[in-house]
Amino acid sequence: MGELAVSGRAGDELVAIGLGSCIGLVLADRPAGIAGLAHVVLPEAQGKLEPRAKFADLAVPELLDRVLAAGGVRRRLEAVLIGGARMFSVGASLDIGARNAEAVRAALERAGVRIVAEETGGNRGRTARVIVGGEISSQLAGGPRTALLSLAAGRPSRTPIAVQVA
Amino acid sequence: MTGSLTDLQLDALRELANISSGTAATSLSQLLGREVDLNVPKAFALPLADAVDAAGDPAQEVTGIALAVEGDVPGAVLLLVPPAGAATLCSLLGVEPGTEVGDSALGEIGNILGAAYLMALSSMTGVQMLPSTPQVITDLLGAIVSTVLAGAVGHGDIALVLDSELDITGEPCAISFMLLPDADGVGDLLAPLGLFEATD
Repeated sequence: MGELAVSGRAGDELVAIGLGSCIGLVLADRPAGIAGLAHVVLPEAQGKLEPRAKFADLAVPELLDRVLAAGGVRRRLEAVLIGGARMFSVGASLDIGARNAEAVRAALERAGVRIVAEETGGNRGRTARVIVGGEISSQLAGGPRTALLSLAAGRPSRTPIAVQVA
Repeated sequence: MTGSLTDLQLDALRELANISSGTAATSLSQLLGREVDLNVPKAFALPLADAVDAAGDPAQEVTGIALAVEGDVPGAVLLLVPPAGAATLCSLLGVEPGTEVGDSALGEIGNILGAAYLMALSSMTGVQMLPSTPQVITDLLGAIVSTVLAGAVGHGDIALVLDSELDITGEPCAISFMLLPDADGVGDLLAPLGLFEATD
């Protein structure tokens, strides 16, 4: 929760396990084979500065900077949103999921990045998985992986690593 | 402020959790007519990302019984039971697991344990804490815990978790009982024990 990771190495796997009201935000530059995943927890930082990936309004520019620094090209960037469920029907965490999704969309619009796929809402938890050079997928507990965007390009050039983005 | 909790303060919170979950274990034992063992509770104050991992494997499927807590120190009570344990609880109560009635019985267990725990905590600290209606969901542990923590911790960096384990003797059923106080409320729990002075 509140972490992010970026990779440009084919075969690397970035995973956020068990997203409830949180959002797994992916920014990908497909031709360059670069992708990043941020685990967003709340819609607004409200004056907080750290951890940047925790808050939608800071996470979007932070992830964008990191993907550009890794060699991504701004006009080619595509965004995918996963999570933002309404796990509970009463209580304080009631609509955090929907507010998170809205805040991420708004921040992406401000940054001029288009959303190409989205798997948000509902009342079930999801796992977001990004395989660099492979695909971006979403998976419900006990369900199959649903591919949201193919990132297919070249073969892995080295032994891939897996990163859990908590 | 929970980031600056001392070992002494965490010890005191662990002791509060120990006594409160003892009361909860007694009510569970009376409800089920079975002996209930209580392990020494854990108290940890961790960054959000680590707090979920400390609660268990995020990819594990669990049944969660969640109650929002209102009053002087708001927060949440969360009981986590592996699906097999939830089925055991239902059969001990004579209801079908995985049904609406089964879930409602699990919610009732959450109600009784939550009320007993919070009442004991209130009587020791003088802090009013009242449980709300329970909700029962089965999903990934990570999704359940992170959603409850996001609500309880809010803009704070550190999550405080008091985690007690209740085991029903002779049954493969371990219930993890967690109290997740809102970040700002921890001082109110410690102040009556003379272990907290407001600094800001």
